[in-house]
Amino acid sequence: MTTLAITINGRALHPTDVRDDLTMNDFLREYLGMTGTKFGCGAAQCLSCAVIVDNPDGTSYTSPTCIVSAASFDGKAIRTVEGHAKNGELSALQKAFIDHFAFQCGYCTAGFLNEAQVLLERLAKKPVARIELEKTIAEALDGHICRCTGYIKYHEAVRDVILADPKRYLV
Amino acid sequence: MTMKSDMRFLILASVAAFAMGMLTSYAASQTASNTLASPESFASIADTDARSAAIFTELGKVLTHPRCVNCHPAGDRPRQGDESRLHQPPVERGVDGHGAETMRCSICHQNANFEPGRVPGHPEWHLAPREMAWQDQTLAEICAQIKDPARNGGRKVEDLIHHIGTDTLVGWAWHPGFGRARAPGTQKEAGALVDAWVKTGTVCPPG
Repeated sequence: MTTLAITINGRALHPTDVRDDLTMNDFLREYLGMTGTKFGCGAAQCLSCAVIVDNPDGTSYTSPTCIVSAASFDGKAIRTVEGHAKNGELSALQKAFIDHFAFQCGYCTAGFLNEAQVLLERLAKKPVARIELEKTIAEALDGHICRCTGYIKYHEAVRDVILADPKRYLV
Repeated sequence: MTMKSDMRFLILASVAAFAMGMLTSYAASQTASNTLASPESFASIADTDARSAAIFTELGKVLTHPRCVNCHPAGDRPRQGDESRLHQPPVERGVDGHGAETMRCSICHQNANFEPGRVPGHPEWHLAPREMAWQDQTLAEICAQIKDPARNGGRKVEDLIHHIGTDTLVGWAWHPGFGRARAPGTQKEAGALVDAWVKTGTVCPPG
């Protein structure tokens, strides 16, 4: 057993004892009832289970949750799809996903959303030239699998959010 | 009906016999390839150079094993499994061998094997540098590389005794977790072979 202390969507959870063989995905979905994070392939290949991990230095990255232990998240701060909307208002990315009808079944959406959010935050710190944008978005979303083939729509939605605030994301 | 039953029995018996044969030969091959001879067992080779090369050839059972080769790949993508298939999900070595900036090895590969996810782990999980590629190399080529400080991380051959014999990331090859064949012998035995190979002059087997 490991005593897991973790911050999720800005809220520090009361330290919880978890079995060392418990996956992070099961911890979120079964223990906490946070079912926005999906369980897809179970092999970190579709990334529908990806959450955002926030580093102390302000950078962030996505991590699959289906193949890693909950215990390995001890001391970390993460964000899940449930944490994107603020005060009941969807984030710019969420709105863009809807505007573009980027998802159909929605199973992969949480993963794409988290990945795109990490990209936005990365670009805000380290903007890219407009000419690099398409490649940057494609590389960021690469690895996320959508069986409804919403790739282009996801890509366009992310691009729209970036182009709506070029001073922030582009050089 | 009787003929059909007889035929069914014959087919089942044949399948069972074939399966047993496969299992027997599999077990035999596993036993044969899963051990390492001790340095002493090469004592009968009087010629020192020949003995040294023979010792390295024995060590080669480890160096060419999928547990080692998968992270000493020829390209920029690691391999996985006993079949050394390309790593899935698709990942690349990145600038430091620890993965791309946005997909570091350590995101999935934790400090230890995580059996529920079938994911191997170690705190230093990473790829060997490109110049240390062992995949598709002959044993002679691996031997030449492993002795060359320009291609072995600046190590003296004596350092290899420790690297192969006690390094814990190398040692993972003998504790690979569910569904992966262990490297032959033990890490200690492999280290003893390196030690003996160094003491006999680090002679490479013929290419």
